[in-house]
Amino acid sequence: MNLSRRGFFKATGAALATTMAFELSSQTQAFASESKQDWKLVNTEEYTNICCYCAGGCGSLLSVRDGELVNLEGDPDHPINEGGLCPKGATMFQLRNVVDPETREVIKNPKRSTRPLVRRPGASDWEDISWDDAIAEIARKVKDTRDASFIEKNDNGLTVNYTPAIASLGGSQENSEEEYLILKMMRSLGVIAIDNQARV
Amino acid sequence: MTSHWCDFQNTDVILNCGSNSVENHPVSALWLEKAHEQGAKWIVVDPRYTRTAEQADIWCPIRSGTDIAFYGGMYNYIIEHLIEPNLAKYQETGDMSEYNFEYLLNYTNASYILDPDYKFDPETGLFSGWNEKTKTYNAHSWHYETESTEDWDTSENGAYAWVKKPGTPEFTTPTLTNPKKDMTLQDPMCVYQQFKKHYSRYTLDTVCGICGIDKDVLELVYKTYTSTAKPGKAGTVLYALGQTQHTYGAQNTRAMSVMQLLLGNIGIPGGGVNALRGEPNVQGATDMGMMVNEHPAYLKWANTTDRASLRKWLESQTYSDGYYTNKPKFIVSSLKEWFGENATVDNDYGYDWWPKVPSETGAVDYTHISTFELMQQGVIKGYFNWGMNPCHSAPNAGNVRRSMANLDWLVVADQVITESASFWNAPDMNPSEIDTTVYYLPCALIYEKPGIILNSGRWIQYRYQAVEPWDQAKPDYEMCDLLWTAICDLYKKEGGANPDPILKTKWDYYVDGKIDPRPVAWALNGYRVAGTECNTDSANPKTDLLKGYAELGADGSTACAMWIYSGMWNNNDAPLDPAEQPLCRRNTEDKSGIGLNSEWAFSWPSNRRILYNRNSCDMQGKPWNEDKKLMEWNGEKWILVDQADFVAVKGDKPVPPNNKTFFMLWEQNARLESYGMVDGPLPEHFEPFESPCDENPLNGAFHNPCAFGTQYASTKQGTKEQYPIVATTYSVTEHWRTGGQTRLCPALVESMPAQFVEMSEEFAAEKGIKNGDEVRVFNNRGSVVVPALVTKRMQPMNVNGKVQHQVGLTHHFGWADLYGTGDVVNDLTPNVGDPNSFTPEYKAFLVDIEKA
Amino acid sequence: MTEKAIYFDSSKCTACKGCQVACKTWNNLPSPLGTNETKWSGTHQNPADLNGDTRLIITFNELEGDSKIKPVKWAFGRRACQHCTDAPCASVCPGGALVRNEETGFVEVYQDKCVGCQYCHSVCPFDVPRYESNGLLDKTVIDKCTGCADRVAHGMAPACVSACQPNALQFGDRDEMIAKGKEKVAWLHENGYPDACLYGEREMGGLHVIQVLKYGIDAHDQVQDPQAPATAQLTQIIKPVTGAISGLTVAGLAVMFGLAIGYKRDKLAYNPETEDTVSVITGDVVQHGDPQDDKTVMEHITENLPIGKKGDK
Repeated sequence: MNLSRRGFFKATGAALATTMAFELSSQTQAFASESKQDWKLVNTEEYTNICCYCAGGCGSLLSVRDGELVNLEGDPDHPINEGGLCPKGATMFQLRNVVDPETREVIKNPKRSTRPLVRRPGASDWEDISWDDAIAEIARKVKDTRDASFIEKNDNGLTVNYTPAIASLGGSQENSEEEYLILKMMRSLGVIAIDNQARV
Repeated sequence: MTSHWCDFQNTDVILNCGSNSVENHPVSALWLEKAHEQGAKWIVVDPRYTRTAEQADIWCPIRSGTDIAFYGGMYNYIIEHLIEPNLAKYQETGDMSEYNFEYLLNYTNASYILDPDYKFDPETGLFSGWNEKTKTYNAHSWHYETESTEDWDTSENGAYAWVKKPGTPEFTTPTLTNPKKDMTLQDPMCVYQQFKKHYSRYTLDTVCGICGIDKDVLELVYKTYTSTAKPGKAGTVLYALGQTQHTYGAQNTRAMSVMQLLLGNIGIPGGGVNALRGEPNVQGATDMGMMVNEHPAYLKWANTTDRASLRKWLESQTYSDGYYTNKPKFIVSSLKEWFGENATVDNDYGYDWWPKVPSETGAVDYTHISTFELMQQGVIKGYFNWGMNPCHSAPNAGNVRRSMANLDWLVVADQVITESASFWNAPDMNPSEIDTTVYYLPCALIYEKPGIILNSGRWIQYRYQAVEPWDQAKPDYEMCDLLWTAICDLYKKEGGANPDPILKTKWDYYVDGKIDPRPVAWALNGYRVAGTECNTDSANPKTDLLKGYAELGADGSTACAMWIYSGMWNNNDAPLDPAEQPLCRRNTEDKSGIGLNSEWAFSWPSNRRILYNRNSCDMQGKPWNEDKKLMEWNGEKWILVDQADFVAVKGDKPVPPNNKTFFMLWEQNARLESYGMVDGPLPEHFEPFESPCDENPLNGAFHNPCAFGTQYASTKQGTKEQYPIVATTYSVTEHWRTGGQTRLCPALVESMPAQFVEMSEEFAAEKGIKNGDEVRVFNNRGSVVVPALVTKRMQPMNVNGKVQHQVGLTHHFGWADLYGTGDVVNDLTPNVGDPNSFTPEYKAFLVDIEKA
Repeated sequence: MTEKAIYFDSSKCTACKGCQVACKTWNNLPSPLGTNETKWSGTHQNPADLNGDTRLIITFNELEGDSKIKPVKWAFGRRACQHCTDAPCASVCPGGALVRNEETGFVEVYQDKCVGCQYCHSVCPFDVPRYESNGLLDKTVIDKCTGCADRVAHGMAPACVSACQPNALQFGDRDEMIAKGKEKVAWLHENGYPDACLYGEREMGGLHVIQVLKYGIDAHDQVQDPQAPATAQLTQIIKPVTGAISGLTVAGLAVMFGLAIGYKRDKLAYNPETEDTVSVITGDVVQHGDPQDDKTVMEHITENLPIGKKGDK
């Protein structure tokens, strides 16, 4: 068996990069001379992942140090992309971290929104809300909407158990387990207006 | 995709039609370039000279929305140049040097005799069975004539003995109707003869006029691509939204399938009908049936048309022959996983608790486009957006945001404040007038959570979590669990409208008391229920995972949410360890020599890498191409390189080669003519909802008579007199969809800082527009201002003798506060669509343009 | 150890810019964070040119085609440091910021040693080195492709090469890359691209970026017969002397700087008659010709800088 280095990934999916000899995807061997600068990937763990853009399914390799992402590039062992990534795949690092042009420090991407928010009727701005409150409020609205619209039997007496008043859109961005949970939740609530990116 | 990415290297001719794959599925380039360097010819059919066209040998510009004319012309070319001149000789001598007659005759329904009432009338553009009042077809006359019938043998030793097993719901088994055939293809009512007659109208001149293609170029394209009709040669067709986003998009995809069948290109290495799916897990979402009428794993979601009970449902869904005779096993196992121990044979395994989609003729339709009409009517009050941004991506986006203003509440789970989350704050909206409560829930990134994802080639792969979600972001599975638990608690406490469907639902996907995707993976793979001890403690996990879907039963003994995934996660020795499951395999050694990579990850179904692969061999089981072999019958058994997508073994006995090469259909032969489409049994050219033409030279119907959504006033159809320019929309490599991710990455915004409208130098000169000028592109639905990109890569076309201008808009920007902002181009696109798939027509509509 | 090279096959390049952004992410090069801060160039080529934070761009050039089936030629190019054997930038660099790695043949960059003179920019026949403020170093320094010396030292290909999906970029022994390129050029000649050529084998003593140019040198925005300015060659001879930082060598450098400026398009020009250095934009004399002045090299250099871009002492 031609098990690649990353073939030995275990349950965590991680391999401690520094414990292994560095390899090059295929084209050359390591140079004898040492780098003059601090090595970017020193003491990193590697995790494999799959790209979040088109459905190519390209493999990516993430290097993590002290719980923070320090690099993301193509997985050289992956048979589909053989280590390459398109510009979108090659910048997936920036979804989380970007370089500040002023200081050149790596910072959290300031345009990503990482707090639950609520916009109240008529309001012209967002308000902060806790997860607990957001979930409680949404659950209440789901129940009220469902209860007010639920159809158990249609005009022909057929048991139909649906609500026309709630719609759910999306799923192609989620992992499959999440797709199943979203679908199961929605269908069990009686939602029939379920669609996702596959429709368009 | 019927094949997979690495298989492109095996092809002899590449046809990009409706797909700019090098730009929008960049990894395709790796495999296409490999084929190209090995001598494959490369054809790109596209209105624009794209980055894909630059790689190709032949660029064939086409007017947006005329693909069926293009394919119809190719069928006619195949019939006139390859089939008719060689058929008699083949019948006499078996000569197949020019054309693979064995494939056509044995693996397709070319020889099947159609119902005597089958008819197509070019004067009206209508097939038999049309109901003018309902604007729908009755497909009865599109079926075959019956030769004989067979009933299922459910006796103790019969093939269908499982039907009588205790616990199996009662249902009347179907009767197989064997179709009448004429293997000489001479019967005037055989599929081949009707097909030939139908496409005899698609002459080179007619097609060139409709499509705006130069005749020499079109002939060269046909000649080059049909060279793959020879046994042992392969052509691959790569398509994407350029084919599907039309009011006849589903017929476009059928048209490609028919082309590939005529050329013997399905089920062989380097062949196939290859949909390049555009979202990371859209394959998974399609598999999951996350659509109104769909059920996980390509079953239909239960509806109200005479489906009063599980019994009726099984009777309507179960095929009379082929692999879908097993549907009751899939459906019962799905119910069993859904409702757990609450599902018993006595309560129809909980079938009544599933919502039934209204499906009577004239029933309200709940698909994407229609949901906005239902919001306007006040029917839909609450809306979830899971990583989807309809205020940007849905057609007629202005109409979308105005519709959403009628919602009581909206929940958006995303990583940025999208246009949908902030629809009330769009430049043309007044927040004080909008009473919708909007929740924004921050989601984890792909590498901040673990989980399963499928690619376009049906490979099931795994994402390991690398880092913790930042700040308060959460994985969607956790959001779902929080919400579900809160809703269940409310119903337990307060009761409410029929709580049973909620409270009887099984929801036990916890490891050490915390929601966890791994037990969900068990549900997707399937497990044995009876007598199984189940434990999700990480210290001592225990379950009884199925090895594969062959182990599924219809008697309630097995539970499985997704039969086609069965086998992906089946290691009972380490059931919580993804790395020990087939989907995480990382063996890069490719034993096939043709890039199947069978020991890397897992591909559904049953790790098959090329679907319909039995078609790679002749009737004796000998491969058409010895150098690229998927299997071979050695006289005693099948030697398999890929997993068999046919019945290779029954019980323990090898099954010798036969003609049942498409065993997911009851005929087990592929359909050149199909009764399964709502808008006709053969693809016929119609004009887009908004067309620049005066007439349709091929028939009297002009538009698809079944086109979906045209009744909505909100579509505001424009005329060619008002809006003379054909427009289409598309993506660039540097951005993706609504830009929620790519406009969040500064390096991508820097590498493509704006959207634009591409136009020819001739058109720009006519309008006095210079490159980089801001221009206003408008129609009845909206108006956007974008800069002009004036280029040689767009050219005026000669359509039916007139000069026609065509422009193209990229569509990644919006008002959401990201590193780049701009107008929402989908304000222009029409909210009409295909009547089979309900996919909107983004790819062909009318606009006018002026300097801003 | 044999010399290395980056191989670029423009006929396989799909101009996706994966290389362009991979260079930025690996090297932690920032992109603007202001909304719509980057202006669209008017074509697919963005940013329009290299800058201090962008070391590599893919170029796009649209030309008339010569057949019905290929009416357009869309020539994609790769614009970045070509790592010359006779690297004039390394020759003129007074501070040791640009150093040719004798083993790999790549011209490496040590920004901490950059004195900000921009001589490298002036002598580069490919107009590559750029000059930007760097917050980490707290000064304005030269920036260009380093060949990802750090990655190469660890046995990895440069970031751009690793990212390239269609394998248009490859990395390996220079002689192998040349052989590969010759083979590909022959293939292109047989397959309808008669103008295809190899670039980099002999230019500037041999480049360490070997390119297959599908439509010929000009179509892909490459420089026909690039030459090191005479000044750079002179500098190589004088350089050991300049170590003494004498007034005389300052004068020598200034003269050569001027010549170099004359060679490449730039904001400054040298008038050999008056020995003045003149701003092309304003016409002002920024440095009077006075070979006997007593300023240090550093003072001379920083005085010659465009306004607002003064280097740190």
